[in-house]
Amino acid sequence: MSLFWIVIRQLAEIEAMATSKKVITREEWEKKLNDVKIRKEDMNKLVMNFLVTEGYVEAAEKFRMESGTEPDIDLATITDRMAVKKAVQCGNVEDAIEKVNDLNPEILDTNPQLFFHLQQQRLIELIRNGKVEEALEFAQEELAPRGEENQTFLEELERTVALLAFEDVSNCPVGDLLDISQRLKTASEVNAAILTSQSHEKDPKLPSLLKMLIWAQNQLDEKAAYPRINNLSTAALEDPAV
Amino acid sequence: MSINSNNSNNSNNNNIKNQDPGLYFLELARASSSTGVEEEEEEAPTELNTINSSGGFLVVSPDKLSVKYTSVNLHGHDVGVVQANKPAPVKRLVYYFEIYVKDAGAKGQIGIGFTNETFKMRRQPGWEANSCGYHGDDGLLYHGAGKGEAFGPTFTSNDTVGGGINYASEEFFFTKNGAVVGAVHKDIKGPLFPTIAVHSQNEEVLVNFGQKKFAFDVKEYEAQERMKQQMTIEKISLPPNASYGLVRSYLLHYGYEDTLNSFELAGKSTVPPIFIAQENGFDEQDIVYALNQRKTLRQLIRNGEIDAAFDKLRNWHPWIVQDDKSSTCFLLHCQKFIELVRVGALEEAVKYGRMELAKFFGLAGFEYLVQDCVALLAYEKPQESSVGYLLEDSQREIVADTVNAMILSTNPNVKDLHCCLHSYLERLLRQLIACCLERRSMNGDQGEAFHLHRVLNSGTHATGC
Repeated sequence: MSLFWIVIRQLAEIEAMATSKKVITREEWEKKLNDVKIRKEDMNKLVMNFLVTEGYVEAAEKFRMESGTEPDIDLATITDRMAVKKAVQCGNVEDAIEKVNDLNPEILDTNPQLFFHLQQQRLIELIRNGKVEEALEFAQEELAPRGEENQTFLEELERTVALLAFEDVSNCPVGDLLDISQRLKTASEVNAAILTSQSHEKDPKLPSLLKMLIWAQNQLDEKAAYPRINNLSTAALEDPAV
Repeated sequence: MSINSNNSNNSNNNNIKNQDPGLYFLELARASSSTGVEEEEEEAPTELNTINSSGGFLVVSPDKLSVKYTSVNLHGHDVGVVQANKPAPVKRLVYYFEIYVKDAGAKGQIGIGFTNETFKMRRQPGWEANSCGYHGDDGLLYHGAGKGEAFGPTFTSNDTVGGGINYASEEFFFTKNGAVVGAVHKDIKGPLFPTIAVHSQNEEVLVNFGQKKFAFDVKEYEAQERMKQQMTIEKISLPPNASYGLVRSYLLHYGYEDTLNSFELAGKSTVPPIFIAQENGFDEQDIVYALNQRKTLRQLIRNGEIDAAFDKLRNWHPWIVQDDKSSTCFLLHCQKFIELVRVGALEEAVKYGRMELAKFFGLAGFEYLVQDCVALLAYEKPQESSVGYLLEDSQREIVADTVNAMILSTNPNVKDLHCCLHSYLERLLRQLIACCLERRSMNGDQGEAFHLHRVLNSGTHATGC
């Protein structure tokens, strides 16, 4: 080892000692990792939960056969949910509303905000397709009455109608409403509402656990230097900074 | 072991030639019999400790849930102090207890707080090192010194006052009449006893260790603490498609090929389609390795067709089954035996056991599983017996995972044994649990333990760490 590296290492050690941080070597840490017991069924469950919540219905079906893991929701309901989501993503909002009501009319009845956002999306699609008259009529008849009940809705409505004021919408301040991300946002809102109505969590557990990993590592950083995993997609342990 | 005896054929596997992935699963196969030890309930305080209290100055009622100062106080060393009979339990998010001031007596010098085992039982909690207390006469908070600091309102007759420890934030907190007064950093290590003090004539205090409903809503407080932590965690951002990529590599790793195909097909048709970053390209080639063979073998084993699995292995990867005393062969033989018992072919099972399992009796590492297998024969309803775990689906899964790992280990590109044993997902989960455990152990095992199993089987999101 060159003298340079020896000095660097010594400095790092001194620093670690000064902040009274415990240093856990790779070897010690690997031993701790090996002592952790994780059940295969639990991992399978985690994967199944992801497939089901994210709506990978065929994959969930296959996974049930290949791993014997039971899904925590009736797989048939996923197909319906995904059809609604897809309809919104493709801009067929009317179709989506109908499908949600077929699934469970209570979802929209008890969710005025979601219903408003769907109607707003419908208005956006009309404007996108250049149906100005239809859009105006729809805004006045369906959306304005709701805006009167709720200040936030009113502001949203005004923002949306503003789209009509611009000839070149791609360059206007509210142009983001026409972006694909607006559809995705509305679609995931419907998706979450349907899941909640089926008494299922609206988000899969896996992303939460990954966030928790990052958080737990940050927490431990305050007390110790230890091998971290910085790249989630390779899960490679990186040596502590000492 | 088998890899050892074969390193001439697999000279590339230098790193892992001395390790047999099968051994890892051998341990798992036995471990699955125990369903994991649940943490035992900790004892919590139930009453006041009448033995270690400053007798003479106070009287503890026969039910040990109230105290009264009976003498006239003269100086600071005649405080009537009493601790709970047990220290506050630590393996939880929050500990909490309450007092009710029945009579503030002559001066209302009542204190509530936490003290350690060596606390001098003649002083107010907070006046001495390793103690902390909230005092009624001045509303000050004392921790470790005779001088208090501004904290909250005073309290007197008819007030309910609570003391708690928040293990997540490492704080003491106090309440008055159901509302939080404030919190202070907890820098005392070791067991802490709920403590109350009375210090002037006729002061009388009732204590509630949870036998009665608290004035303060502890459940709600806990829920809010959890929510706070949850919000912090949810705010962390992940690289795009991190979860998708991990699920995909998991399916690849274990050879769930049909699921993988459906998953990828669906990933392409989502809006927007999912792209996995190119940087994974290299690693991926390694887990695509022998995917179809691994899938086929898993299917056979999951269906209980062990003979067919053996045949395929002899064809595709003869060295894996070459040493009949390897842990992989052993697990396969055990499974074959189990399958015979399952279908009630007991005579055949006995014959098979004599031929293939008998040689493992007395061999360290193999013994327990052989004994458990053979024990299946002793029961009329083996699935209800203590060795019933062998007949569960999870046992087949372990055998399938063993074969899967063995095949992965034949890949000349494989870098180390871990790549064959653990998927990326598993490595991340291990890291998560190890971090939580380590941090908790540095905190003297205080706070809630993180239980992956519990998180996955509950309707709520991940909490506690």
